Amino acid sequence: MYGTGLLKGLSITIRHFFEKKITQQYPEERPVLPKRFRGSFNLTPEKCTACGLCVKACPNDIISIDTFRDENNKRKLSKYRMNMASCLYCGFCVEACPQGALYTTQEFENTVYFRQDLDRVLYEYEPTAQENREEGSEA
Amino acid sequence: MDIFLVWVDIFRNWLTAGIGVPALAAEIFIKIILVLIVIVFVCCNLIVLVWLERKFSAFYAMRRGPNRLGPAGFFQFPVDIVKMLAKEDIIPKAADLPVFKTASICAFITAILAWAVIPLGKGLVLEDLNIGIFYFIAIGSTGTIAFIMAGFGSNNKYSLLGGMRTAAQMISYEIPMAFSLLGVVMLTGSLNLSDINDAQRNVWFVFPQILAFLCYFISSIAETNRAPLDLSEGEQELVAGYFLEYSGIRYSLFMVAEYAHLVAVSAIASIMFLGGWNPLFGLTFIPGFVWMMLKIYFMIFLFMWMRWTFPRVRIENLMHFGWKVLIPVSLLNIFLTSIGLYVFQAITG
Repeated sequence: MYGTGLLKGLSITIRHFFEKKITQQYPEERPVLPKRFRGSFNLTPEKCTACGLCVKACPNDIISIDTFRDENNKRKLSKYRMNMASCLYCGFCVEACPQGALYTTQEFENTVYFRQDLDRVLYEYEPTAQENREEGSEA
Repeated sequence: MDIFLVWVDIFRNWLTAGIGVPALAAEIFIKIILVLIVIVFVCCNLIVLVWLERKFSAFYAMRRGPNRLGPAGFFQFPVDIVKMLAKEDIIPKAADLPVFKTASICAFITAILAWAVIPLGKGLVLEDLNIGIFYFIAIGSTGTIAFIMAGFGSNNKYSLLGGMRTAAQMISYEIPMAFSLLGVVMLTGSLNLSDINDAQRNVWFVFPQILAFLCYFISSIAETNRAPLDLSEGEQELVAGYFLEYSGIRYSLFMVAEYAHLVAVSAIASIMFLGGWNPLFGLTFIPGFVWMMLKIYFMIFLFMWMRWTFPRVRIENLMHFGWKVLIPVSLLNIFLTSIGLYVFQAITG
């Protein structure tokens, strides 16, 4: 019959009109994230051995670490930087980390007001004069 | 007597008797104020309509719509107005300046002019013309010229095509619109909108004139350039049609005209078919003005329901439907109405 399709469409839309709204009111309502959701990255500096495997694993070369040697001539991390502007969140750095020091967090609000804030420093440590015998840097 | 008319009378008495203004001058002064009130009334409706359109479009899509500024996002409108006013008024170098500039004003004025004869209650009308409905149709037709002016004046082939498309559509749908209103005019024997309203005290004309109502409804969607028949604009796939080159305040004038036309068409529909300011179920303690507004907004709700349900039709389907379906159906309605009138006269003698 002519017009039945139109009436069917109208009845569907009017039902949706009075239905409960399904959109999430984001800033007030926090989203329930899946367990394995991978947001931004974080570092456990105690576990890090400053091996630099994450630097090599990164396809965009956004990770740069500074190292120094302490009194036992052991290489230690002094600065861990990630340029999030070029990060593609592939997670290869986390996969490459042999110590499990680098891990993904559930944090997804990565917006910043200024461009330089994208250059995120995950860890910073100023070595003392005694420790600062030899300084290495891996880009 | 309506409360608004009482106020006008008090004001007139104060002008003539209180401060001694001549009667003619007082009358002209009052008319000017009333015209301004009508324009403000139309603009207030626009504010509500823009908000409603957003809210309703959201509700049909199961979203919540604007909800940040004010209660339910209502105070979005001052922000929008400021944004529109602050935008750069871009005029193309090759545009036909006088035509380009007057086109948007023409569109707005023709939309406002229709309000001269639309009553919103008993006596609440600027000029109760005895050919009110005729005037409304005539003014609605002159609105087409603004769109052609905009299309030609922009000096852009897509604008021109859009203007031609709009003119073709609006002129085609004028005919079934006028014919569908003719059925009601035949029943009442009057072109005066107040008389037509008074004739519906016992039964609304939507029941004996259901065919006419459907024709009027569909053709007024096309007349007001609203989806699903908004071929003149076609925001998704056609490049905005005749107002392609407009920006800022001139663009917003076209939008204002569109919504003013929508309210006018809804008001005419409520007067002609839905009983105007006659109360429903004998609830006479609610003023006629409120009934009228309720009916206007019911009609607007129907228009929005259509808009957010149906996809846009193609232009040739639109023209085929107008000429091959709507006009024969509205003519059939006139035929049936005249037979009905003869039968009625034969029975009652």
